[in-house]
Amino acid sequence: MSTPLLEVRNLVRHYTVSRGWLKPKGVVRALDGVSFTLQQGATLAVVGESGCGKSTLARQITMIERPTAGELVLEGQDVARSDRTTRRRLRPLVQMVFQNPYASLNPRKKIGTLLEEPLAINTRLDARGRRERARAMMAKVGLRDEHYGRYPHMFSGGQRQRIAVARALMLHPRLVVADEPVSALDVSIQAQVLNLLMDLKDEMGMAYVFISHNLQVVRHIADDVVVMYLGKIVEHGRKEQIFACPTHPYTRALMASTPALSPAARRERAALRGELPSPLDPPPGCAFHRRCPYAIERCGIEIPRLRPVAGVEVACHRAEEVVGTV
Amino acid sequence: MNDAAAPLLDIAGLTVTFGTGARPFVALDHVDLTMQAGEVVGCVGESGSGKTVMALAVMGLVDFPGRVQARHMRFGGRDLLTLSNRERRTIIGKDIAMIFQDPLASLNPCYTVGYQLSETLRIHGTPEERSSGRVRRARALDLLQQVEIPDRETRLGAYPHQLSGGMAQRVMIAMAIACRPRLLIADEPSTALDVTVQAQILELLLRLQRDQGMALLLITHDLAVVAETARRVIVMYAGQQVETGPVPDIFEHPRNPYTQALLAALPEHNLDRTRLRAIPGIVPGPFDRPQGCLFTPRCAYAVARCREQRPELDGPPGRQSRCFFPLDASGRPTNDWSAQASDLADLTSAPR
Repeated sequence: MSTPLLEVRNLVRHYTVSRGWLKPKGVVRALDGVSFTLQQGATLAVVGESGCGKSTLARQITMIERPTAGELVLEGQDVARSDRTTRRRLRPLVQMVFQNPYASLNPRKKIGTLLEEPLAINTRLDARGRRERARAMMAKVGLRDEHYGRYPHMFSGGQRQRIAVARALMLHPRLVVADEPVSALDVSIQAQVLNLLMDLKDEMGMAYVFISHNLQVVRHIADDVVVMYLGKIVEHGRKEQIFACPTHPYTRALMASTPALSPAARRERAALRGELPSPLDPPPGCAFHRRCPYAIERCGIEIPRLRPVAGVEVACHRAEEVVGTV
Repeated sequence: MNDAAAPLLDIAGLTVTFGTGARPFVALDHVDLTMQAGEVVGCVGESGSGKTVMALAVMGLVDFPGRVQARHMRFGGRDLLTLSNRERRTIIGKDIAMIFQDPLASLNPCYTVGYQLSETLRIHGTPEERSSGRVRRARALDLLQQVEIPDRETRLGAYPHQLSGGMAQRVMIAMAIACRPRLLIADEPSTALDVTVQAQILELLLRLQRDQGMALLLITHDLAVVAETARRVIVMYAGQQVETGPVPDIFEHPRNPYTQALLAALPEHNLDRTRLRAIPGIVPGPFDRPQGCLFTPRCAYAVARCREQRPELDGPPGRQSRCFFPLDASGRPTNDWSAQASDLADLTSAPR
């Protein structure tokens, strides 16, 4: 584990939105100073509610958009400030799997064409070479040879997600960003796709940024976990530590809200009141303080910094006291 | 509450068929369901298992070319199938209400929340509610309070697009409970929502169920949600009921191999393993259903008999399983299974 694969430092992405005629433009701070490192071959899970900036983060890492500020260092190159050719050269290293396999595959293209498209654009392989690579990849993700000439509508949800995974891996990326890859699938199919993702990682050695709201799934697949709330990281650490003793009140609330099968695994419901505040008008101080059972006066004034507490990094003024109350 | 004597909902042999007469597709195959007043029943299954079709059939929302047949479908002693449409409309929406998965798709985007709430009251409400707009407005405010919506006066004039998913689902619930239904059918009420909001919505549904003594049929694909809320569970697979039983027994000692495999596939039950115990294959589609037991192609215990005959739902009332070899307390198939399975002898693939 020498140079990290991906280093994100203080990444910021703001969007300006129109709020209506004659009204000043609003600024959505979708990502507001996010930092983490990802080692080669590791899995980082990003969890949080919708609107917390998970998908915006994915758009920055996959170089679909340029960040407003901050550094995004991929294999030693700062992508945020590099020119077109560098970005173009780096793009094949990062690939993406989307949430909804019914929407992410072009219904008018055959599976073979879909899989060969990345090769046709990014490599100089001839048609026969591309076909061989596509067929080899299909075998790897558990699709049969005769599926090559079929259209996406002829497949079930689980198979479509296999196709999406295969397409992402065609260029042998170093990093795969998976945005809720199993949440549109049934439980029995979910397990198949998760197994596939883990097998492929063992075989090809790429790293994952695994975006999910399902903590049970994250607990299974991740090495490190980042918990986000309204564009900021509120807790970051090893999976074992975060699940054994969540330190940020929001992480605790997320875990308490996750339904569990066995009564023993259910944590006491510290029912979280209210919903995610509007990112156009975030509350002052800690963004979570209006829903937080531990909030004190200071939380409404001062923005907490990410700092190490009990083996993880937490952004909470009262983290030490929260750790004390199990 | 009057107990076992007269169940609130009593469905026997409910079958829903789509497709043409020559090539029928059985979406729901002879499902029986009884619910007592005030009871919470969970219905779990994967997509295509028929759980939503069952709810729609009870609500009378299956349109042509769908065909609904049943030996009887009684609600409060009256058979919903033999009622005239006019009589039926006095029950549906009033005594039986339903909420759907996607709240923003189920609310009319052209009308305000207040209008849509009072529309229910204008049609099904008490005589005062039907005649007076002021009474309806007061009642609508009262309903919004029951579903814990803050800032009620402004919300009443809001359009659905101005609401978040959680708020919209609360409005849907308010509309459903407006006429104090005796049965509420909730079809994936929390699936489209975030976990923290999901927890709030489920808690709200359970509180309303307790306060108003209504029965709740909770349809979901999430086993953990059912485990936390329901007292009795129906497991569906490819249009059939495969197991029924009380919580937590059905989750601790499943008798049907499908239930067992589904539970084993959850990440929660694989904490000590790197690979999940996935169920191979997919749910059979409308026209590729196997001749024997529908789960055979994916079942770890399938033997020759399973491939040839379809098992019936079997077992004591309230604890039934559709399997020739129901599992025992240790999770092993019974009924002389080992003798018949001697030809495969490979037990390592079994989920437990």
